[in-house]
Amino acid sequence: MEASHFKKAGIVTLILVVVSIGCWEFYLRSKNYPVSYNDDETLWSIKRKVIYQPINEATVFIGPSRIKFDLDIPTWESITGENALQLSFVGTSPRPLLADLAKDEKFAGKVIIDITEGIFFEPNEKMSNHSADKALEFYKDWTPAERASSSLNNILETNLIFLDKDKFSLNALLRDIDLPKRKGVFMMPLFPHGFEMCHSNRQNFMTDDFVRDTALHNRQIAAWRYFGDFEKKKGIRGDSLTAVFKKVKADIDKITERGGKVMFVRTPSTGEYWSTEQYVYPREKYWDALLAYTNTLGIHFKDYPETANFTCPEYSHLTPLDAIIYTRALINILEQKGWVFPHKTLTAYNQTKPAYHGF
Amino acid sequence: MVFNSYTFIVFFAIILVLHNLPLPWKVKKINLLLASYIFYAAWNPPFILLLWLATIVDYYVGRRLYTEPNKNKRKLLLVVSLIGNLGMLVFFKYGTFLLENFTAMVNAMGIDYHPAKPNIILPAGISFYTFTTLCYTIDMYKRKSEPIKSLLDFSLFVTFFPHLVAGPIVRPPQLVPQFESPRTANQKQMMQGLLLISLGLFMKVVLADSMLAEPANTIFNAKEALHTLDAWMGVLAFSGQIFFDFAGYSTCAIGVAACLGFVLPENFLYPYGAVGFSDFWRRWHITLSAWLRDYLYIPLGGNRNGNTRTYINLMITMLLGGLWHGANWTFVVWGALHGFYLMAEKFLTDLNAKRRLQPVPAHDPNIRTHGVKAPRFLKVAPSNNFVYALFTFFLVNVTWVFFRATDFSTAWRILHSMFFMVPTGATLLSYLTIIKITVIITGMLGFHWFMRNRRVLGVAERMPWWLLALVWSAMLILLILSQESSSSFIYFQF
Repeated sequence: MEASHFKKAGIVTLILVVVSIGCWEFYLRSKNYPVSYNDDETLWSIKRKVIYQPINEATVFIGPSRIKFDLDIPTWESITGENALQLSFVGTSPRPLLADLAKDEKFAGKVIIDITEGIFFEPNEKMSNHSADKALEFYKDWTPAERASSSLNNILETNLIFLDKDKFSLNALLRDIDLPKRKGVFMMPLFPHGFEMCHSNRQNFMTDDFVRDTALHNRQIAAWRYFGDFEKKKGIRGDSLTAVFKKVKADIDKITERGGKVMFVRTPSTGEYWSTEQYVYPREKYWDALLAYTNTLGIHFKDYPETANFTCPEYSHLTPLDAIIYTRALINILEQKGWVFPHKTLTAYNQTKPAYHGF
Repeated sequence: MVFNSYTFIVFFAIILVLHNLPLPWKVKKINLLLASYIFYAAWNPPFILLLWLATIVDYYVGRRLYTEPNKNKRKLLLVVSLIGNLGMLVFFKYGTFLLENFTAMVNAMGIDYHPAKPNIILPAGISFYTFTTLCYTIDMYKRKSEPIKSLLDFSLFVTFFPHLVAGPIVRPPQLVPQFESPRTANQKQMMQGLLLISLGLFMKVVLADSMLAEPANTIFNAKEALHTLDAWMGVLAFSGQIFFDFAGYSTCAIGVAACLGFVLPENFLYPYGAVGFSDFWRRWHITLSAWLRDYLYIPLGGNRNGNTRTYINLMITMLLGGLWHGANWTFVVWGALHGFYLMAEKFLTDLNAKRRLQPVPAHDPNIRTHGVKAPRFLKVAPSNNFVYALFTFFLVNVTWVFFRATDFSTAWRILHSMFFMVPTGATLLSYLTIIKITVIITGMLGFHWFMRNRRVLGVAERMPWWLLALVWSAMLILLILSQESSSSFIYFQF
């Protein structure tokens, strides 16, 4: 009698849970949401642990969100025949990641550092380094149990849309409730749902719905404005700037002394973003000075006709289709700068015409 | 491995299948032991060596302690066991703390000494399994119970994975007899075990991690003076977080053991429904309180040597209990505050007992004893006084400030923000967060008061089955939706 009480409750619970979660999943599928992975320290660690490949087998990418949107990893990998290891974090400076690679004696590969001046030269390092520091700390103590959980989690995330923590977790759903803003409290603006999706290879992408909808672009532009990204203030200068150059140079030297290669890239931005960046971080004082101080090559999008005229829907990131075009151009320019891709085949290059079937 | 991880789900499913196969009992115990080592090694494999060392030393020392007739040799064996167990604990848990304090002391004396900071990693659960093995050897020394006959049973007693890393702290008589005959869960036990696992995960993942951890972290990591509302909300959020986190772990552990047919002791009995601090410590981390009472407070003399000595013993016990939680002076202050509360409560209880012998005149609004007026609100209240429970909760919250703050300047800043209006205090929490904390903490207090003389399985059994199904499914759906897997339990660091 007592056993059957719990048994009946248990069976009904199982049915209710499966039906409820199933309905939620089908509802999200009916809304055409794509699968998007949680871009957290676990997914980052999966990439971090495979960086020790021969120099002609892989390239590591570090930077903030632009390189995550603008580098199309399938295009890169099919043309170069090399792995693209995306270690960037959105809104995060690559400097702590560069320091980590420099400190790691076993690493002697290729690194591409994406420069978004507002983040790379951010004086408040605690804020701009937060995600990277968190991931590095996590990776240091990544336990065997957590590694096993990551693999299982990956299987589930590949198949279930509702497992997108940023958009459909309990807290994310509660955040959508429209409550008045409390005076003095900093509230993260809500990004439109289709803006920041993530593949399992850590490439970010916009959905087709987002790309098509200018109202959503404007919402995202309003979010950048809320962050103060269009404020024409003065950037970091003097000794603080020199200290950044010095640290970056020291880290780059460590990598190159071990036989590794480093290249800076300045990915495209447009509109109000680009004009603010030009004002706050004039090229000769930041980009050119950084390259000169560190004695490192760089690829600025404005210097090449094939990358100079993209249009970013929300001023800061490329659409998935433009990411393919940009990646093809980037590989060509890298070769012009002396980088060699021994596994590259012309057939692969020709086969990866910019064809995009939507997400 | 943590209970709130996909790895554990797979691990536990395999263990359940193996445990229910028609295998000899000894083989099943070996399976459980190997599983427990895998469970532990999944954090940091080398630390399994410490566990083996503690097991082997205490097994053989324990047997010798029981059989050795020579008193001096027995004392020597006890010292060996204490040095072995406490030595490991002191090195791994308090090594850095002791060195820092030693350095500060010699620097204060004008000696310029700056040693390299040691990089000591704390093995998971060392405080818990050290107490488990310690109580065995002390029991053997006192010949309170028979030595465990087989190394397999002793190893399983120490290592049994549900209790290994964060308790409940078990005593040999609670668990060892259960290893002597074959055990598997019947249908009712299995379902109750699954219900407890669901409840524990709901407490940990949904309430502690998803709802309360972030505001608590925001407030305790703030570097500026806070708005009074924010300071209180942060502290309340932490008081909920620490309860749901730790009680959630214990509930999972008891549920996991139940699914395998074993019974572990209860560790939490709705502590925020406690009326007074003796009551609180009978409800919060019960197995640790009982351990400290039986192996520290009573050996110190307990309440047998007069009031002054009782107060001193209470304070020593709570100071060491505080230090057990972490190698930081803030934990010592946390323990000291609880010691002070217990002393004050005992003083008032004694005062009240004397007052009963000398009745207070009916017209006197205050209690008068020995010429001292005690405010009415401090009168020891009847056990059904909800207001007194709220007052206990209020005082407990003050202690949590020291428990959670990483240093004294943070603790003082938060206390100042809580009790002295700071007009320019920073506002950090949104209305949504404040609503979440208010709803959860109010619900928690109401639930603890309602449940203070009840047990969850008893209530579940008396519920209509369909209502139980609705509550159970709501917990699981929220658990799945919260998507907060794999974060460690707070008490692992202790």
